[in-house]
Amino acid sequence: MRFAWQMVRHRFASFAGTFVAITLGVAVVAGAATLYLSSRPEAPERYSASPVLVRSPSVGENDYGEPEYESWTATEATGLATRLAKLPGVTAAAADPMFYVQRLIDGRATGDPEAARLDGHAWSSAALGGYRLAAGTAPDRAGEVAMAGSPPGTRIDVLTAEGPATWTVTGTTDGPGFYVPDAVALRMSPGVRVIGLTIDGDAATVATAARGVAGSSGEVVTGGERDSLEPASVTRVRWLGAQLLIALVGLGAFAAVFVVASTCALSAAQRRREIGLLRAVGATPGQVRRMMYAETLVIAVLAALAGLPIGALTAPLLAGPFVDAGLEPAGFTGTVQPLALAGAFLLGVVVALAGVAVVARRASRAPALDALRDAAVEWRAMTLLRWIAGVAAAVGGVVLLARLSAMSITVRSTAGLGGAMLLLTAAALLAPVVIVPLVRLATWPWRRAATGMLVREGTLVAVRRVASTAAPVLLTVGFTVLLTGTIATIDNIQGVDDAAKLPAATVVAPDGVPGLSDTAVTAQTGTSRLPTRVLITHGGGTAGYDAAGVPATEFAELTAPTASPSRSATPGATPSKPAGSGATPGKSATPGGSPGETARSGGTPGRTPGSDGQSGVVLDPATAKELGAARGTVLELRWADGTDERVPVRAVVAAEPGVLLPRELVRRHDPAALTDVVLLDGPPVAVAGARVMPVRDYVQIDIDEEGRLVDLFLAVLIGLTVGYTGLAVANTLLMATAARRDEFRALRLAGATTGQVLRVTSAEAVLAVAVGTALAALVAVISLEGVRSAVEAELDRAVPLVVPWGAAVAVTVVCGLVAVAATAGPVLRHRGLTAGGGS
Amino acid sequence: MSVVLLIPLILYPALLCRRFPDGWLDGMTRAHTPPAVELIAVTKTYGAGEQAVIALHELDVSFPAGTFTAVMGPSGSGKSTLLHCAAGLDRATSGDVIIDGIPIGGLSERALTKLRRSRVGFVFQAFNLIGALTAAQNVALPLRLAGRSPAPGEVTAMLGEVGLADRAGHRPSELSGGQQQRVAIARALVTRPAVLFADEPTGALDARSGREVLRLLRAAVDHHDQTIVMVTHDPLAAAHADRVLFLADGRVVDSLAGPAGVQEIAVRTARLEEARAGVAS
Repeated sequence: MRFAWQMVRHRFASFAGTFVAITLGVAVVAGAATLYLSSRPEAPERYSASPVLVRSPSVGENDYGEPEYESWTATEATGLATRLAKLPGVTAAAADPMFYVQRLIDGRATGDPEAARLDGHAWSSAALGGYRLAAGTAPDRAGEVAMAGSPPGTRIDVLTAEGPATWTVTGTTDGPGFYVPDAVALRMSPGVRVIGLTIDGDAATVATAARGVAGSSGEVVTGGERDSLEPASVTRVRWLGAQLLIALVGLGAFAAVFVVASTCALSAAQRRREIGLLRAVGATPGQVRRMMYAETLVIAVLAALAGLPIGALTAPLLAGPFVDAGLEPAGFTGTVQPLALAGAFLLGVVVALAGVAVVARRASRAPALDALRDAAVEWRAMTLLRWIAGVAAAVGGVVLLARLSAMSITVRSTAGLGGAMLLLTAAALLAPVVIVPLVRLATWPWRRAATGMLVREGTLVAVRRVASTAAPVLLTVGFTVLLTGTIATIDNIQGVDDAAKLPAATVVAPDGVPGLSDTAVTAQTGTSRLPTRVLITHGGGTAGYDAAGVPATEFAELTAPTASPSRSATPGATPSKPAGSGATPGKSATPGGSPGETARSGGTPGRTPGSDGQSGVVLDPATAKELGAARGTVLELRWADGTDERVPVRAVVAAEPGVLLPRELVRRHDPAALTDVVLLDGPPVAVAGARVMPVRDYVQIDIDEEGRLVDLFLAVLIGLTVGYTGLAVANTLLMATAARRDEFRALRLAGATTGQVLRVTSAEAVLAVAVGTALAALVAVISLEGVRSAVEAELDRAVPLVVPWGAAVAVTVVCGLVAVAATAGPVLRHRGLTAGGGS
Repeated sequence: MSVVLLIPLILYPALLCRRFPDGWLDGMTRAHTPPAVELIAVTKTYGAGEQAVIALHELDVSFPAGTFTAVMGPSGSGKSTLLHCAAGLDRATSGDVIIDGIPIGGLSERALTKLRRSRVGFVFQAFNLIGALTAAQNVALPLRLAGRSPAPGEVTAMLGEVGLADRAGHRPSELSGGQQQRVAIARALVTRPAVLFADEPTGALDARSGREVLRLLRAAVDHHDQTIVMVTHDPLAAAHADRVLFLADGRVVDSLAGPAGVQEIAVRTARLEEARAGVAS
């Protein structure tokens, strides 16, 4: 209907709440979606001159849903590369072994530690990025390197998995990375996973031919598929960012529906005479409904159009902070995403229409008689539909929370949040039912005082207004308590966990490097593990396992028949994190053994093959059960460098989690492996890229990192919720109080001072906030209990519930202040005793 | 000038229009014009059980076409309920209400709305206009709601009839109370309804504006055979009517026919109030 626009223009004030809510919602969703869509996997820059790439085959997915790749051995890789190079249209085929190398300046490691793991390359792979020598010659012998930024002849200090070394720069490249002779690179890297082709023919044709050559031993990727070659560490960073962005989108949309619905309900209730008049002069319910939809559509479109640029312009500005916070990889920028903007726009409009749908249905059936009635009695607050929806949401939420422990970890947090959202919705829908008894109870002590009486009666006849105010408070307090409570509960058990396990010892830990080199480890007297990743084929399936290289003497002890019982009584000192809190996936473990053990050598974990020819594998009971293996079972194992070996299970011991292998073998098959930490037995020896600290501090680094992320998530999500609902509370009360001008005038004419009127309105506002808080507490406790019992079921031990009182009180006080301020505004502005303008 | 000339032109098709859908007339044998609104044994009770309040008591009233009836009575006498039931805004508990020959008891809410839109006009005491719309748009509202565009000049002519042709583009907030009420009358008459219900139309106005409104209502009856039912407690307003009905406790207890003097009406009203007071004490 064409009157809609005029209606909106005339009564813009009463639509302002919807407008702001939609603007904000669309801005948040547009911004978050823009960042989310901007953060796509991208083929590394150094493959930019290679339109066709061949990667080693994938053997399935790991626990985090990332594909698990096997490696080609150096021989396999060079063989395949030679065959690929002969294809028509291919100018060169370069195997791309990668290894850890980091530059040392003044004895300190420089650059990003995690990125350094993949910074070493073979010289022939420089062509894949189109990198050329700007000066000098290609590296030819071990100890020679081509790199950017250093003139030929420079001698540089570097750190590799072996230890510190001094290399000579033979050539200066125009692209990043350390390039060493191909043979050296193959020796330093754990196998090859990518072969890049440079071509002078058609990419599709070459790809087809390459598929013929590679067969099942390689996967040919071209065009956009090349983006799957993004390093896993980058993918994980982006995954973290995506979690926050998804939460922002979900929360933004939910809060918008919530605010719009309650604003629409209130404004429709306030317009009931106007709607009645329309009905009296012949508007059918359908016409009234269509008018309300049209009005909301106008508002939503305007608001969405206002919100889009805000979101689109803010997103690129947030890219920097996201990178700094470790939520997006370095170099990330927000780009314009038409899909994100279109989606946000559509979402804003749909959300607004959904918010008005129920209200419109109800308002359109208002009797025409409403136009003639003066009485301030409201519409009945509870309808059958509201009852049904409220009870359904409550049941749905409880069922979801009760079944939480039966769900897989990946969907659990989403399901938990979904259950809580359902309960919050249920509480908001059913609020009018409990408001009357709650208010009676709360105001009972003051029922004889004038203010108390006014508040009590004023609130009891305006259940709908109270419900509208209480709903956003409910949402804010409920969310805050739920989120902080969940984190606090998990943090609590985590603290208990770690404190119980940590020995009072000193460790040598990486300092500005991704891990300790062999030199750094050998220099110390103590225990360490050399982590690697192996593929174990069993029963037709192949899966990846984290494995650890154990020094020869320890391995011998583990496999000695008599050792097992006593060993199993002293658990390893591996600080593991409880599942469910895992914000940083995939970082496994640390030193093993207990410090009391004697006479373990610092080890000679060099390249010398195990002198006593140690072989075999030790499993923990859980892994053994998973593999269906027992002592004596022979496993088919594929090392990081792509070699296959059949290894017998020497022992199944509950000493350390995972797969244990002789250290020498691990080193031989994974030349780039780095040690996470050394648990010291003797005095520390200072080496480059290492620092000494107590175990507790070392563990604390991980906990802090995780805590930092969790705090960031909490701050953003709670900030958004509080901002949103603060807006809703303010808007609802501004609207409601402004509409009660006549009532306040009557109060003043009856002899009340402005102060007394303020006291009444403030008390009403506080009462509404209190009602919302009470309901929120109920919902939060139920939801938290659901989360708690799910964690309890998973860990199989008692988990105490932690209620975040501080956060709850803080948020409630903020809501209360906003509510009081929002009611005081209109009261103070219209202090006169005369009727204020034509109504 | 042209405005005045236009009025009969608009009126004529409108009058024709009123007869056009009325197939029921064929079955009628009555020779005289049927009443615009007829209430037959209408009872309206609010609440249930012992607390039930009987607002209308088996009321039989007929409002002949082309007449101006004032309904008076002390507060609580049921005069507002009578208006609501007669206008189809509220449903009678029992009995029949027939508007322009159509019994409304069996109509759905939607059908009733459509009937109201085409056959019934309203003027309330206050809050008559949609604040967002101009005077002209307010007048055109019933036509637009019925899904038809006003003929060129139709709305202006209607506003001219109430003396506000120059205020077409003004919003209600820019008009005086009297002017607003005249726009409301124009809106109520634009569909040429079978009956116009007015609920204390002068209640919120000063004496001069009130007289102007009543003059307009009277003119509609005299010149266009408009049927008007007006609820009022003001003897001055009632004096403009052809007939005055006095209600008490949901029953018609008295009536005055023909243009009655203000004095006479006031006396009857006073008598009624006294009787009521007597019963109460």
